[in-house]
Amino acid sequence: MQTKEFKIKWGMVIDIDKCTGCGACMVGCQVENNIAPMTKKDPYNYLQSITKDRDDASNKLRTLTWMTVYELSNGEKFPNHEVAYLPRPCMQCGNPACVPVCPVIATDKNEEGGIVSQIYPRCIGCRYCMAACPYHARYFNWWDPLWPEGMDKVLSPDASVRPRGVVEKCNFCHTRFMNAKEEARLNGEDPEKLAEDAYIPACAEICPSGAIVFGDLNNPDHKVHQLAKSPYSFRLLEKLGLDPQVYYMSKREWVRMQGDNHAAKAKH
Amino acid sequence: MGFDRRAFIQLITGGTVGILFTPVVWKLLDDVSIWTQNWPWIPTLKYGEKTDRPTVSKICNSGCAVNVRTVAGKAFGTEGNPENPLSRGGICPMCSNGVQLMRSPNRIKTPMVKGADGSHKAVSWDEAMDALTGKLQAAGSSVGFISGDLTGTANEVYSAFVKGAGSDDFFKLPGSNQAASRAWNGLMGGNGQIGYDLPNADLALLVGADAFESWGPTVWNQKAFSDARPMGEKPSCKYVFAGPSQQNTASVCDEWIPLAPEGEAAFMLGVAHSLLQTGMTADASDFNAFKTMVMKDFNPSKVEAAIKVPAASMASAAKQLRAASRPVVIPSGNSVAAHAAAFALNMLLGNLNRKGGMTTVAEFPLVVEGAMTPAETYEKDVVSWFAKGANPDVLITADCNPVYSLPVEVKAGFMVAIATEMNETAAAADLILPAAHPYERFDDLQTPYGVSSAVYTASVPVTDPAFDSMAPADIVLKLADAAGSGLGVESFSEVLMAKAEMIGAEWDDYFGVPSFETEAVAEQNGPSLAARTLAKAAAPVRGTGAVALAPYTMLTVGTDRQATTPNAPCVVSRNQIIGDTMVVMMNSATARKIGVGEGSKVKMAGGTGSAEALVHIYEGVLPGVVAAPFGFGHTVGDEFSKGKGDNVYKILTVTSEAATGASVWNGSTVNVTKL
Repeated sequence: MQTKEFKIKWGMVIDIDKCTGCGACMVGCQVENNIAPMTKKDPYNYLQSITKDRDDASNKLRTLTWMTVYELSNGEKFPNHEVAYLPRPCMQCGNPACVPVCPVIATDKNEEGGIVSQIYPRCIGCRYCMAACPYHARYFNWWDPLWPEGMDKVLSPDASVRPRGVVEKCNFCHTRFMNAKEEARLNGEDPEKLAEDAYIPACAEICPSGAIVFGDLNNPDHKVHQLAKSPYSFRLLEKLGLDPQVYYMSKREWVRMQGDNHAAKAKH
Repeated sequence: MGFDRRAFIQLITGGTVGILFTPVVWKLLDDVSIWTQNWPWIPTLKYGEKTDRPTVSKICNSGCAVNVRTVAGKAFGTEGNPENPLSRGGICPMCSNGVQLMRSPNRIKTPMVKGADGSHKAVSWDEAMDALTGKLQAAGSSVGFISGDLTGTANEVYSAFVKGAGSDDFFKLPGSNQAASRAWNGLMGGNGQIGYDLPNADLALLVGADAFESWGPTVWNQKAFSDARPMGEKPSCKYVFAGPSQQNTASVCDEWIPLAPEGEAAFMLGVAHSLLQTGMTADASDFNAFKTMVMKDFNPSKVEAAIKVPAASMASAAKQLRAASRPVVIPSGNSVAAHAAAFALNMLLGNLNRKGGMTTVAEFPLVVEGAMTPAETYEKDVVSWFAKGANPDVLITADCNPVYSLPVEVKAGFMVAIATEMNETAAAADLILPAAHPYERFDDLQTPYGVSSAVYTASVPVTDPAFDSMAPADIVLKLADAAGSGLGVESFSEVLMAKAEMIGAEWDDYFGVPSFETEAVAEQNGPSLAARTLAKAAAPVRGTGAVALAPYTMLTVGTDRQATTPNAPCVVSRNQIIGDTMVVMMNSATARKIGVGEGSKVKMAGGTGSAEALVHIYEGVLPGVVAAPFGFGHTVGDEFSKGKGDNVYKILTVTSEAATGASVWNGSTVNVTKL
C-alpha cells in the first residue's frame, strides 16, 4: 500500500491526559458544520399517523457526530479503576480505507493538506466507505436534516447542509482552511505556508482544556510536528497501515495499549 | 365492427409499443421518484460580512465570556473570547450552543397570564405590567424574589427592588457559591469573595469539586489545568480529586481518593489533623480551640471509622500538601461546614492570598442604592425559607427554574416567571414575562466564584431580539418605577455604565466592557477557623436509605437553571440516558449487594419522591453509592429535554446542617428496588 505524500499534512495531536470529556468539541463541531439536532417529529411529513417517528439523539447509531468522545476504561475493579476520554475526529488517513471503495469517487485524498474530502452531491449513499472505515468516523444521513422552527435561521454560512441519503464526515473544518488561504493571499502571504494559528478547526479552537493541538505535521515550526514524535504519542490501529494524520498522546500505558498497535512498527 | 381476438392483440401490441416510445410514462415515473425524495424545504445559508462580537453568556451558572459570530448582522455561532481572562478562547458546551437556544421554539415569545382553566394566554406588555403592579401593590411587603443570576449587577436591581417593597426575601439559588460565602463571610468573619489561584498552584486538592466539568468557573479552571499540563512536558501542578465517583474531572486528575459526599468536612479535618501533628499553625484567634478540637475528634483512625476513607489516604494527602510549595484545597457542594473546613485547611497551609493559594477577591462596589451585598444575599437560604412554610403573596423568579430544581415545594400566592424559555416554573407561574436572551440584552459578569482575581465583563446586545422580550433587570426597573420606589435610573444599560465608571473600566458603546481585570484583594480582619462550629457541624450525617446518592452535573445534560441544549443530546452518552430512561452508575459490589445488574431497571426512592433509572455498572463509583445525573426529568420544555429521564433534585434528602443551619443534601440516600 502506498501512502500519498503531500507538502502540507494537516494533523492533530490529542492529549488524552488533558481531555476531560466535557463535550464542548462535539457541540462546537455540530454548530460549525450545520449538523441538525435530532428531532423526532417531521412537520413536513404529511403521513405522520402511519409512519413512525424519526430517531432521537439517544439512538447513537443514527446520530451524526463527526467528532465523538469515547470513554476508555482500564477494566480494573474499584478502587483501581481509571477512566479516560478519547475524542475521535476523522483521522484523515494517509492511505485511507474509505477512498478506494467509493464507486463514484465521492471521497478522495488529493488536495494539498491531506484532508480526505467528501463530495456530498456525488455521494450515492452506498455506505461502502462506512464499512471500510475502521474508526467509525463516517456517518450516514438517515433522515432529512431538520431544525426546530426558527433554528434554521442560525445556520453557519461555512458548511452546506446535506440531504438524507448521503455520507458525511469530519473534514477538519475545511472552509476554515479555504478562508485562511484566502486571507493569506489578501495579505500577500504564501497560502501554502500558513502560520500555526491561521487555520484551526472548531473543535481544537473551542476545547477549554487545550487537549487538541492542530497544525501541519510536516512543518517543523508547528507544535504538532514535534509532539507527534513524542514517546507518548501513538495512533489508533496503526497496525492497519492506514497512516492516520491524527495522533494521540498519553502518559498512561493502559491508554496507549488501547490504541491497539501491538503489531505496528514504531515508525513515527 | 366487433371486438375480436385480433383487434384485442392489435390494441395490446400497439399500446405496448406506444408506451415504449412515449416519454410520458418514464417522465412520470422519474417525477414520482424525484418528488418523493425531495426535501420538503431547502435550508438557505446567509452570506455577508462576518463579525465576532464580544458578549457575556450566562447560560451556564458561572457564565462564559464569549464572542458571538454574526453573518450579515445575524448571530450564527458562539466561540470563546480570547481577550477575556475567564475564557482565553475557551467556552463551555452549554454556552457554545447559545445562539441555537436563542432561536429555540421553546422561547417565550410574549407575556402570558394564567387563565382560570390553568392555561396561559398571551397579553400585551402593558397589560402584564399593569396586572403585576396591581398585585405588588396589594402584596405590600409580602414579596419574594429568586434570582438565577450569580454574577450580575442585575442582582443589585432585584434586591433593591425587594428592599424597596419592604421585604428581605431576595434569594439566589443554592450551591457552592452560597456555602463559600456563608462559611467565609459569615462563620469565619472574612471579607471578599473566595477564589482559588489554580493557575499558579502546584498541588490542588479538589474535594468533591468537579472543577473541570461543572464546579465553579469551569472554563477558567480548565484553562489553568491546560497550562499546568504542557503536552509532552513535565506538569507543573498535581491534581488530587476526593469524591464519590470518577466523572470528567477525576478522569484527568493524578489521584482519586474515593470519598462519600457527606464525609467531606470530616475528611479535610482528618487531613488537618496530620498537618497539626507536624506542628503547622495558622494565624487565627481560635487556633488553639481549632487544634484541640481537631486533635480530639478528628484523628485519622476515628475519621476512617466514620467515613471509610483509609487513614493512610488522609496522611498521604497531608504529606503531599505539606511538601507542595503552592497547595490549594477546593471544597464544593452546599455544606457550609465543608467550606469552612477547606478554608481552615488553606489557612493552616499558610496560602491565604499567597500565589497559588486561596485568595479573597475584592468585590466590585455596589452601584444601585439600597441593594444587598453578595454576602448578604447568600445568607438567605431559599430552601429553608420554603421548608419553613413561606408563601409570599407575590414571588418573582428571574432566569431560574426553582419549581424544577429546588428539593422543596415552591409556594406563592401569585408567581411570576421572568424567563427566556418555557420551563416548569413558567408553566406553574400565574404570569410569564419573556426575558431577553443574554445575547439580546445588556448584561454583565462580575468575578465568578472561584476565579482568583477580580474580573469584570459587560456586554451590549449583539443581535436583534428574536422576540418581543425584555432584559429581566429592565423589567424590574419598570416595576420599581410603577410602584413608586424608583431606583433612580431609566434602564439597566445606565446601571451598567455607572458600574463601569465606578470601577474604572472603560465603556464602549459597541463592545461594552470586553474585559477588565484588577488584582484587588479584600483586606482581612483576623478571620477565624470556625472551630466551635466545625466541632458540631463536621461530623458526617447520612440518611437511612440503603445506598448513598451521589448526584453529579454535566453541562451537556443540564443544570438547575438550564435544560440540555439542542445540540447537546448527541453528546450525552449511554452512561447518562438510554431512550427516555436515565442511567445511574454503581460499582459491581454495590450492584451485587442490592441484587441488580447491568441494564436492570430500578426505582430509586428518596426524599419525598422517586426516580426510575437503568443501572450501569461502573467501577469508578464508591461502594454503597449510586451516581446519578442532575438535569433530566423535565416535564415542560422542548423535545430535547421534556420527558427525558427523571429529576434527581426531587429525590434529595434535605436536612439542616448542625450548628450552621444550612440546608444540605450531601447525606442523601435512596432505596433501590428492581422493577
